[in-house]
Amino acid sequence: MTDGVSPGADTLGVKDVARGSADNGREIVLEANGLRREYGPVVAVDGVDLTMVEGEFLTVFGPNGAGKSSLLGMLGGGMRPTAGTVRVRGQALSFSEHDWQHRIGMLSHRGFLYGRLTVEENLRFYGTLFGLQDLEERLPARLARVGLAERARFEVRQLSHGMRQRLSLARALLHDPDVVLLDEPYTGLDPSAAGVLRSVLGELRDGRRTVVMVTHNLREGLAMATRLAVQVSGRFAWEGPNDGLGREDFERHYHDVVEGRV
Amino acid sequence: MNTYLRQVWVIVWKDLVLEMRSRERIASMGAFAVLAGVLFNFSIDTTSTRPQDVAAGLIWMTLIFGGLLGVGRTFHLEAQDGALQGVLMSPTPKDALFLAKTAANFVLLYVVSLLVLGVFGLFFGLDLGPNLGWVVLVLGVGALGFVALVTLFAAVSTGTNMGETLLPVLVFPLLVPMVIYGVGTTTRLINGRPFDEVEGNVRMLGAFALAAVAAGAVLFRYVVED
Amino acid sequence: MSTAGMRRGGTALTLLGLLGLITLYWMAFFWVPTEVNQGVVQRIFYIHVPAAWTSFLAIGFAALASGMYLWLRDERLDRAALCAIEGGLVFATLVLTTGPLWGKIAWGTYWTWEPRLTLTLLLWFIFIGYFMVRNATEDPEKGKRFAAVVAIVGAIDIPFIHLSVVWFRSLHPEPVVARPDGPTLPGDMLLTLLFGVLVFTVLFFGLFLFRYAVEGLRAEADLRARSAA
Repeated sequence: MTDGVSPGADTLGVKDVARGSADNGREIVLEANGLRREYGPVVAVDGVDLTMVEGEFLTVFGPNGAGKSSLLGMLGGGMRPTAGTVRVRGQALSFSEHDWQHRIGMLSHRGFLYGRLTVEENLRFYGTLFGLQDLEERLPARLARVGLAERARFEVRQLSHGMRQRLSLARALLHDPDVVLLDEPYTGLDPSAAGVLRSVLGELRDGRRTVVMVTHNLREGLAMATRLAVQVSGRFAWEGPNDGLGREDFERHYHDVVEGRV
Repeated sequence: MNTYLRQVWVIVWKDLVLEMRSRERIASMGAFAVLAGVLFNFSIDTTSTRPQDVAAGLIWMTLIFGGLLGVGRTFHLEAQDGALQGVLMSPTPKDALFLAKTAANFVLLYVVSLLVLGVFGLFFGLDLGPNLGWVVLVLGVGALGFVALVTLFAAVSTGTNMGETLLPVLVFPLLVPMVIYGVGTTTRLINGRPFDEVEGNVRMLGAFALAAVAAGAVLFRYVVED
Repeated sequence: MSTAGMRRGGTALTLLGLLGLITLYWMAFFWVPTEVNQGVVQRIFYIHVPAAWTSFLAIGFAALASGMYLWLRDERLDRAALCAIEGGLVFATLVLTTGPLWGKIAWGTYWTWEPRLTLTLLLWFIFIGYFMVRNATEDPEKGKRFAAVVAIVGAIDIPFIHLSVVWFRSLHPEPVVARPDGPTLPGDMLLTLLFGVLVFTVLFFGLFLFRYAVEGLRAEADLRARSAA
């Protein structure tokens, strides 16, 4: 993996934002400027700006149709913005290069897994796509971390939903991405899988990764986050640090924001 | 092996392993081919038509319909758990993905082609003699062009809300050269004509296949981006 | 060029084309001598062939615009491709109508697998595919990309289709006395034909600009409606 920081390479027309040192001297990892996404006449994301440093964990709440998944899609580079740019460690996500994908991991409520491949084969498949050289050591360690070491040779379709979700988690983090994107990861999880997810996410945050999670789940969303945002109609209608507001208080605040009272 | 080749290889491996375990597509294509052979047998009056004059056309049409059935589903299998999105978010170049899908589909269709050839040879009592090898080659070259075009447009039609119904409308006009050169060549070979006589056509079939692979490799990225 | 400029240009070219068309009709009906073998019916040739030429011009032009659209993502390029394909569809339909009329009288049958006619029929289906793909996606931007791919692959495939249908025809000769594109064309006929090609090309670009201006206005209206909302 190269350290492909190439300021200005394909960021024509976008002002260079000072980078390299942000608050507390922590490095800016993820940067979005004026992100906008239209589907014909529908505007899903309407001008989102975002700067995140190492160790930050942002949870984006919002009602259905607020454009949360589109935002995540663009942050992950899988979706082309109608306008605006995304940079990861200063490198713009371009559609002709394949460097920056190493820095991004995505976990969605869909697993991105092949039901007819075994647990191990799924990871081996993705690991090879990511060009990882040390799969022999990496795979057992990762499987053990999510409690699937015994199931390595099981086909994924034989696993329970919770196990599958744990495997997806291992898959999303297999290449040790700097930025982890989570799209409703708690949907349909049993308590034990949710527990594994929570502890892994805690490790990520403390390991100074940058995490963006979109969710409806207020409890889980508040538990990990260092920052919070509420997205309504494609915009961040409210943004702020997670300063220990209780769940009930935040819920009230959230409804105020969504209904336009704040 | 460099990363690009390893990426291509692992996708081909994955597709073939999935196919070997589920046998979904190979089974439906194989059954289709054999049953089409049976139906064709009843639809042709062999007292007025010599089987070796029509067999080539039937073989190629069976391949096209059967191929559409199997190859057309190539991205549906991928989409079940969003896995295609996972592949697209990996550092795999889109052309590598296209070439890999094409290669895996080619293996699948080529196996079916040989089955079709065997079944039709049996049903219609064809004696290919020394031309057998050439027919096998021509089927391979034709299948490659077919698979490249269909893989590209399967990605297109999967992305629309019409789904697979759109696929024949898009690819049939484009497949005309393959049908004409493929059938023309195969008919002559079945009738015991020497390969020299059809070499020009096989070259055209090869040029068509190469153009289809190249166009697909370049254009595929614009189809799968979101 | 501004939309108003497009419209003026479109008007001028279309008028010029229509004027040329009248001249072409006069030349085809009265000026050019009757072809000996086929008789009067051969005169349809001066409309038929230029129309065919124009539909191929259209796919080539659309493929070029489509390729540039995929590269630059400028809406105007997509609009240009769309308008060219529409024009091509009109002219291809013209060929598919005049061809069988001619065929009925010249060859005694409405449809023959005459290479140019076959090619135009397939091209017509490629045009139809372009529109079907374009309208079958929820996200219009995706439809534009898909349609662009159809136009480009179609244009690449045209030479292959052409060669193959010519070769196919050579295998299955039709019982024709005269070939429409005969060995040598006498000077007057060639002149009329070339003039016809010129007229249809001008007409195509005239209609194209017109259509393009309309699409431009529509895009502007959309934008205004959206910003008002």
